Amino acid sequence: MPTVPIEPLLHHSSLLRHNNRSYFGASGGFSPASLNLRCHFASKKLHSFRRRSATSVRSSLAIRASSSDTAVFEETTQSDDVIFKENFPVQRIQKAEGKIYVRLKQVKEKDWELSVGCSLPGKWIFHWGVSYVGDTGSEWDQPPEDMRPPGSIAIKDYAIETPLKKLSEGDSFDEVTINLNLESEVAALNFVLKDEETGAWYQHKGRDFKVPLVDDLPDNGNLIGAKKSFGAIGQLSNIVIKPDESGEEVKEKSKSSSDVTKERKGLEEFYEEIPISKRVADDNSVSVIARKCPETSKNIVSIDTDLPGDVTVHWGVCKNGSKKWEIPAEPYPEGTLLFKNKALRTRLQRKDDGNGSFGLFSLDGELEGLCFVLKLNENTWLNYRGEDFYVPFLSSRSLPVKTEAAQASEITRKTNKKVSDSGFTDEIITEIRNLAIDISYHKNQKTNVKEVQENILQEIEKLAAEAYSIFRSTTPAFSEEGVLEAETEKPEIKISSGTGSGFEILCQGFNWESNKSGRWYMELQEKADELAKLGFTFLWLPPPTESVSPEGYMPKDLYNLNSRYGTIDELKETVKKFHKVGIKVLGDAVLNHRCAHFKNDNGVWNQFGGRLNWDDRAVVADDPHFQGRGNKSSGDNFHAAPNIDHSQDFVRKDIKEWLCWMREEVGYDGWRLDFVRGFWGGYVKDYMDASKPYFAVGEYWDSLSYTYGEMDYNQDAHRQRIVDWINATSGAAGAFDVTTKGILHAALQKCEYWRLSDPKGKPPGVVGWWPSRAVTFIENHDTGSTQGHWRFPGGKEMQGYAYILTHPGTPAVFFDHIYSDYRSQIASLISLRNRQKLHCRSEVKIEKVERDVYAAIIDEKVAMKIGPGHYEPPNGSKNWSIAVEGNDYKVWETS
Amino acid sequence: MEVSVIGNSQARICRAELACRELGFRFISNRVSFCNPSSKWKEIGIRCSPMSVKCEAIVSDQVPFLKSTPKPRSLESVRLFVGLPLDTVSGCNNVNHMKAITAGLKALKLLGVEGIELPIFWGVVEKEAAGKYEWSGYLAVAEIVKKVGLKLHASLCFNGSKNPEIGLPDWVAKIGEAEQGIYFTDRYGKPYKDCLSFAVDDVPVLDGKTPMEVYSGFCESFKSAFSDYMGNTITGITLGLGPDGELRYPSHQQDTKLSGAGEFQCYDTHMLSALKHYAESTGSPLWGLGGPHDAPAYDQQPHYSSFFSDGGSWESQYGDFFLSWYSSLLISHADRVLSVASSAFSGTGVSLCGKLPLLHQWHKLSSQPSELTAGFYSSNGQDRYEAVAEIFAKNSCRMIIPGMDLSDEHQSPGSLSSPESLLAHIKTSCKKQGVLVSGQNSSASVPGGFERIVENLKDENAAIDLFTYQRMGALFFSPEHFQAFTVFVRNLNQLELSSDDQAAENEAETVNIGSTTGAAASLQAA
Repeated sequence: MPTVPIEPLLHHSSLLRHNNRSYFGASGGFSPASLNLRCHFASKKLHSFRRRSATSVRSSLAIRASSSDTAVFEETTQSDDVIFKENFPVQRIQKAEGKIYVRLKQVKEKDWELSVGCSLPGKWIFHWGVSYVGDTGSEWDQPPEDMRPPGSIAIKDYAIETPLKKLSEGDSFDEVTINLNLESEVAALNFVLKDEETGAWYQHKGRDFKVPLVDDLPDNGNLIGAKKSFGAIGQLSNIVIKPDESGEEVKEKSKSSSDVTKERKGLEEFYEEIPISKRVADDNSVSVIARKCPETSKNIVSIDTDLPGDVTVHWGVCKNGSKKWEIPAEPYPEGTLLFKNKALRTRLQRKDDGNGSFGLFSLDGELEGLCFVLKLNENTWLNYRGEDFYVPFLSSRSLPVKTEAAQASEITRKTNKKVSDSGFTDEIITEIRNLAIDISYHKNQKTNVKEVQENILQEIEKLAAEAYSIFRSTTPAFSEEGVLEAETEKPEIKISSGTGSGFEILCQGFNWESNKSGRWYMELQEKADELAKLGFTFLWLPPPTESVSPEGYMPKDLYNLNSRYGTIDELKETVKKFHKVGIKVLGDAVLNHRCAHFKNDNGVWNQFGGRLNWDDRAVVADDPHFQGRGNKSSGDNFHAAPNIDHSQDFVRKDIKEWLCWMREEVGYDGWRLDFVRGFWGGYVKDYMDASKPYFAVGEYWDSLSYTYGEMDYNQDAHRQRIVDWINATSGAAGAFDVTTKGILHAALQKCEYWRLSDPKGKPPGVVGWWPSRAVTFIENHDTGSTQGHWRFPGGKEMQGYAYILTHPGTPAVFFDHIYSDYRSQIASLISLRNRQKLHCRSEVKIEKVERDVYAAIIDEKVAMKIGPGHYEPPNGSKNWSIAVEGNDYKVWETS
Repeated sequence: MEVSVIGNSQARICRAELACRELGFRFISNRVSFCNPSSKWKEIGIRCSPMSVKCEAIVSDQVPFLKSTPKPRSLESVRLFVGLPLDTVSGCNNVNHMKAITAGLKALKLLGVEGIELPIFWGVVEKEAAGKYEWSGYLAVAEIVKKVGLKLHASLCFNGSKNPEIGLPDWVAKIGEAEQGIYFTDRYGKPYKDCLSFAVDDVPVLDGKTPMEVYSGFCESFKSAFSDYMGNTITGITLGLGPDGELRYPSHQQDTKLSGAGEFQCYDTHMLSALKHYAESTGSPLWGLGGPHDAPAYDQQPHYSSFFSDGGSWESQYGDFFLSWYSSLLISHADRVLSVASSAFSGTGVSLCGKLPLLHQWHKLSSQPSELTAGFYSSNGQDRYEAVAEIFAKNSCRMIIPGMDLSDEHQSPGSLSSPESLLAHIKTSCKKQGVLVSGQNSSASVPGGFERIVENLKDENAAIDLFTYQRMGALFFSPEHFQAFTVFVRNLNQLELSSDDQAAENEAETVNIGSTTGAAASLQAA
């Protein structure tokens, strides 16, 4: 999704300022957006704004067609045979717009309250914490008990979640009010808003909203500007980085101002509003009934929909076995237009009660079917799950035919294209044009040439990536399968940093608490022999550098390897010890961010010390907290520390040197790369080329896709992102298979083992697409341990291990599980994997996927099943014997 | 994209002023430039110039190989095209990967690419029956290209393709089943079914029509179907002259086995009878009974048998007789097709092109056997390409030479190959005849290819002003390749800009965004 600049909206700022109260109504405005088409450029927004100023706010929620309307058709065509009846669900993605307000108010002398409200419908959660006087970092703390409103839930030790509520039924805002305890040392209140429905987070400038309660709050980048120019405390600047692809933006700020009453060193009342928008999927339906009229032998098709507004049916018919769209003979329904000789366009008649439209099509009985798509306006087209709607006439008369996606897909791509072409190509020029307009706006406002260039480059990159992903999926010569085949053709062991030998089994050698003892390295050393005996080939050690956080993920001086886990000498000794027992060692390299040593002149922490004494040029420019002077980030930002700008040559040179030093000095054999979402995979390739690791794996962790709290079956988009990252590294590093973990969660937790095969009969995670680069795991220090951000379903861990330790990919076992009751079972699985020489490219044949059981045979020598259901490997030429067995899982091997 | 303007009074003024202006935009050249004579603007321009200087410096770091040439030929005039996939339009007139192509075209447009080459297959358009043309798929593509604002170069392919598999028209293939003689045939009797033999050009083998008449009809139909695009979107047409569109015999048939010199393809009935006839007319009837008996097989090295060795048959009187005849058929075929095209397309404002092969293997052998089997020969050791260039000149046709990305150092030493010297040779022949040369790369990506292309484009002698990069597809857009391609395009534009910068009167006033992006649109805020 391209970043859409918000500047065009500034023209309307005056308008907003005058009318802000009345403009954002209960449900926000109505702005058309498309399904399967991309139209999210600036012009559209201007358009919708104008529209809003002219008309009053209209509800954009879908209204179901009432049954009485359908009854009308049934009467008119009562005697006919129904040959087709289907209710197609359609979804429109709409953008709802509204606002968030933040108000700081003095109730009594020492009694202040902060209210936050949001006008968009949704399940809003106020996710907040405070900073205390003297805090320097951007981390949050729990507020004092008496500040927490009833119904608040503490999230670990740093945040509170309080749901927003409507104060009364008719209220347009969901609100929350916090009574501030100014007796305490609270210096600022930090918050973000979360929409439970979509899981999206709403932030400010990619940072938390921060309401300062003291005057001399350390400036973290988001407090400049407004304070001086507007006199209000709590500057909320105008742009927000979008949460991942969910399309929300907070657009522009409108301020109403503030009565100034001095208390507590310049605390002032203020009231601010920030427009906000979110994409809301509206569900509508299109019901189609086709009847054969016995008298006229015509097919009568009625189309009835509850879609609001004008709906035009863009249609054609199929005949003579051809799947082309053709124009039928006249007569057509009233008002039908011929479109480019390729299709007909008929506007549906509005229903009297305003809830949708309907139309009747009388067609020749000889025709095979009716194809159509719906057009809502110039830019909005609706089809059915990516295909044209298709109404078959020649099907068996006895039963109403169910049209499923499969049937719809009978229509060849060609017909699809013919229709979408026009709408599609019209978009192109607009998009380029809009891009050009964006450029000019930027030009005018900031004259920042570099930024404009980057916009264009980003757009190019985005388009190229889009083209790449489609070409790759449609060009057989370059498909994943092609890659796999090429790989399997070479059975000999080839070492590549993306795979190691191919027979690696990883042990994650720490958990979230390991830093506590202060001598973790020494403790691990003692375990070297037993870990080797278990059959591990790789040990992943915790991040070794000096770090602001004890766990090591906030590195400061990269060359200082004395950490809470032990000294550099202990580390070297440990690595040596593991090498002795035949286990290679992965270093945990945190390359995305680095904590600064010093403040710059503005008091922002962005000057580094130590051997790599970088200045703010090494910090990405798009994180306002840290005032970087580098380029914009090539990935996502991690907001707690300055993100390193890997596009700078000096930074890359220094990092390469450091990695080589770590290889040489410490003896690390490879890397576990932290938060690789934060920078471009191409740089990772560069680093791997320079440091020549034996094995490397990156942590690319983002959210799977869910619909209404239910995990989607198809997680292709999720694994595609991971595969894309691996691809960007040119396969020089593997990646943790977060997709597989997520799908295992859903499958095991809810007994939905059918999820474990994708539509092509392959494993549904990264391991199904690019097994040699997938590092499978079920738990790590973040997801499990004492953090428990995303814990594997309790009691089902062994099923997870039975899966990953028999399947292709490179399995990683979590430390906590080795030192648990599961140890002996895990040991048997590892020994089976080694004995049967299963490797990262082993072939999986899925034998059974049902609700309660999943079974597969790997490389024709290991069979496994998980789930309570029954499975036995086939009795054939092979002699299967049980190798490992436990609660709801069994693994067999051939003898 | 974060541009925070709140609190920046200067930017606010500027914004307010510009907000009430209509912003015009138009697509002119392949770069973006802004100029505005107002004094306010000047001030801003000056303010930002250090920034622009800075970022240009950064970008130039990425293109080290240009630094080594202090005074390059300006590449301003080089128009860059990119080829669409061969299977852009499928056998049933579907546009394949429409979305990918659209996204790709937009990316290329923004990158500053001038146009797109579209391979149009005879076997797709005139698939079902003679004279029944179905252009819809290709028209849809042309429409997208036009909408995106790119130019289109149409390649009319009278040949088939192995990968993806696109054959000759069904009705032609049916005729071929009955009469294999319409195809090129090797000495083992194996027909090459992706191209008609040169010997049937003027023989009415296609339902009473000669292939030339059929090609002519095809060209006319193309002209009328695409009349809206001619001369504006469509700026060039390449005529397919033989196998894979190149002017040559299909002397190499197995792509993987390029180690041999190839084989002569003179064994179809029409060729053999023409040979017989020619032998009789020159008074050596015995030479007309078949092709050379001592030529090596496809996968044999040239010196394996005596034909191509020094002092071998190729230098004998018989050799001269056979090779002259073999080569004359090739040249007259080129002449026929190009005349058909030049009469069909005269006055439409499009330039015509034909493509030669770059048969660089064994080029260092004195017999240059790859070129001989493909049909390039000249008696008495004269220039083998001059006669061809003459035909191109006669028909005012440009010559496309592929393989501009190949360099000698990357060829395997055993193949005695020299793409660089062969390329230089053909370019010289063209220059002598006044034929304009367009460049192409070889279809497989080769190490150091982009650098080599730039060197070729900078060559003052050939003055190549059009280069078509082959070919769009998954590999093309793969992150690794596309990145390299972007750098390549920027290189072309960078040279262009360096001359622009010198020309600009007030550098601070004109900010060339294209300097690093080569972006697509030209915008003027006025």
